[in-house]
Amino acid sequence: MIGLWDTTGNEVVKALAAERRSAGGVASGLALTLIAVVDEKRVREAEAAATIAAAAHPCRLLIVVRSDVESQRSRLDAEIVVGGRLGPAEAAVLRMYGRLALHAESVVMPLLAPDVPVVTWWHSEPPAQIANDFLGIVADRRITDSAQAPDPVAALRQRAEDYAPGDTDLTWTRITLWRTLVASAFDTTMEQVVGATIVAPEKDPTAALMGGWLGARLGITPVLEPTTEHPRMRSVELQCANGDCIKVTRDENTALFSRTGQADREMPLVRRPVGDELAEELRRLDPDQVYSSALGALAGTPHLENRPAQRVHVWKDPALARSAAS
Amino acid sequence: MRNPLRDPQDRRLPRIPEPCALVIFGVTGDLSRKKLIPAVYDLANRGLLPPGFVVLGFARRDWGDGDFESLAYEAAKKGARTPWREDVWARLAENIKFVAGSFDDDAAFDTLASSLDELRASHGITGNAAFYFSIPPVAFPIVLKQLARTGMADNETSGGWRRVVVEKPFGYDMATAKELNRLVDSVFTADDVFRIDHYLGKETVQNILALRFANSLFEPVWNSKYVDHVQITMAEDVGIGTRAGFYDGAGAARDVLQNHLLQLMAMFAMEEPTSFDPSEIRAEKLKVLKAISVPKDIAADTVRGQYLQGWVAGERAVGYLEEKNIPAESTTETYVAVKLAIQNRRWAGVPFYVRCGKRLPRRVTEIAIVFKKAPHLPFDPADVEMLGHNQLVIRVQPDEGMVLKFGSKVPGTTMEVRDIAMDFQYGEAFTESSPEAYERLVLDVLVGDRTLFPDAAEVEQSWAVIDPLEEAWAGTTPEPYRAGEWGPRAADELLVREGRTWRRA
Repeated sequence: MIGLWDTTGNEVVKALAAERRSAGGVASGLALTLIAVVDEKRVREAEAAATIAAAAHPCRLLIVVRSDVESQRSRLDAEIVVGGRLGPAEAAVLRMYGRLALHAESVVMPLLAPDVPVVTWWHSEPPAQIANDFLGIVADRRITDSAQAPDPVAALRQRAEDYAPGDTDLTWTRITLWRTLVASAFDTTMEQVVGATIVAPEKDPTAALMGGWLGARLGITPVLEPTTEHPRMRSVELQCANGDCIKVTRDENTALFSRTGQADREMPLVRRPVGDELAEELRRLDPDQVYSSALGALAGTPHLENRPAQRVHVWKDPALARSAAS
Repeated sequence: MRNPLRDPQDRRLPRIPEPCALVIFGVTGDLSRKKLIPAVYDLANRGLLPPGFVVLGFARRDWGDGDFESLAYEAAKKGARTPWREDVWARLAENIKFVAGSFDDDAAFDTLASSLDELRASHGITGNAAFYFSIPPVAFPIVLKQLARTGMADNETSGGWRRVVVEKPFGYDMATAKELNRLVDSVFTADDVFRIDHYLGKETVQNILALRFANSLFEPVWNSKYVDHVQITMAEDVGIGTRAGFYDGAGAARDVLQNHLLQLMAMFAMEEPTSFDPSEIRAEKLKVLKAISVPKDIAADTVRGQYLQGWVAGERAVGYLEEKNIPAESTTETYVAVKLAIQNRRWAGVPFYVRCGKRLPRRVTEIAIVFKKAPHLPFDPADVEMLGHNQLVIRVQPDEGMVLKFGSKVPGTTMEVRDIAMDFQYGEAFTESSPEAYERLVLDVLVGDRTLFPDAAEVEQSWAVIDPLEEAWAGTTPEPYRAGEWGPRAADELLVREGRTWRRA
């Protein structure tokens, strides 16, 4: 590991190259560059998740921590790790202070691995407008996590508002296993689904997306039944035209699969660590159309997939905004 | 029947089979314990099994469900490639059942049949079942007869699909293979027969198709105009282990050349299929298998070998003739090298040197394409002394990946050119733990995807290559080689004669 204090972007590029050389062949193949946008206190958490994801997709990991944007003195500190504790990834933790934090791209751009996709992941409250963050604009894929917002469902609606192809949200990733179970129930039946009921806490973003997905796929309007007893999405029930009913109910790490006329069955339904979710996201680097139609159905804004994929940077200076407000 | 919740765009959702049962004959055997049961656990752990899924184990031992469960538990825990989760196993174990009986026991098969019928109500499995034959081929006829007698193999009476999975060896020669195919096809419909060649489940083997047909870079040089020759190697460091009885009757050519290596060669050399439909891929593979020709002078252009005692990877290894249960005068080969050719426009005149053997220095399987030298070299001959043939090597196992070897200038003031290697390791670009071959293939059987399973015609065509070789070898004695060497000296001479050398794999 190399630590560089009060350094420059060029020094970081040189140090990374030197580390790669001295590490020998460890990190010669890179599938992508992953930019993780985090706050100082969550750097370790992001590293842990990225290590799991990097085991599946060797990448260059750039962890960007921005703070003190109002300070007049700009400063860059960097930590460089190749191999070792971060698994097959090569990583740079970049801490930017002062005005430099508003121009993080000037440090990040020369560090992007040549000609491989760039993925930006906000391990924090998602930005309201991705266009305001240049780190989102250089990325081919953008991963937000609406569950970290104070009002996750509102945050998801904002994602629909702000959507561009290539965006996804980890709340969507969290329901892949659910969706798999629900979809597999229809591999063996031709029954038309006439209604759906989702039991979940009111502010649960995964339930909202599940509803959006079922609505978009089946042309129904799922009913959201709020619960206060369960902290997470509890069950999904689908009613068929012939009166049959299919229900998936989650308990800790298992799902109870019940269907009219058949014995109940228990299936594993484990909660995955963020790293596994991130790894699933990195599998596909093209826009996720199914997500966009589910998100569109949730927010009532259809045809999200027709939006232009390229965003144009919109300059926004938080310091100016704050001084204007005061 | 279209599922409204599935969308080809939705690649997050995995392929999941319909509710079904997997019946394993010989469930207490080696293959089942080392590969099948762990593969089923891994599938469950990855969430790839349907809500209704039952494993029915059939074996001779007189065991209760409990004993079998602990055997399965041990096997799964030991062989699993995904992290061990006790609750996943607990869910799966509830649906693992054991049926005891010998293969000639009518009552046991009746129990099996009624167990399958009961699943209809208890697990919502509407008749779908796959029968996995993890048993020696001699037992095939009797088990097939039992399945036919009880109507278990019939798609219509069962109301779902009934599939059968057979392992190699697919016969002993053309005649026995035909007989076996006829037998299996008479009980199951031909489409429901899945012949497992686990090599085809390997990620790199499937990548041969991606490499060739998804890129524009390689296809133009994939022919006799640019390729000097091709070397296909399958080396194992182990001996015959506990397979003495089978191995001594078969030998290296029947054991792996007939299936794994010819399949590799077919994937490598076939023409582009019109689509990735299983029948199209099989059609192209069959075409190229038909075009394979054996050398005119088999005695000169093939080498058989048998290992003597020696040292492999720091351990003493006994010679083949000293292995347990091997007759002292056995002339079975443990190594074989063959010069094959493909009679079509693309490959005319390009020799395919194919070798496989046991007790070689290390375990490696690879295909090396050795290109012709540049027609003219405008360099001083002394400067290009270290420049060899360009090579593209597809490493099938271990360290799945590809190596491209080409000449490059040595840094310095002189124009010296030397070979360098550009190494792509699959694990580096996607370490995404690629599923174990069996895991992938078991899932394919349950989903009904035939792409990776050779059909009867391919198997028979492969025997058409092996039979003449075996005929010519009859009565000859294999050349000895020391365990831990790259085969007999004669194999090196086979290439040296033509101005070539084996690549040190």
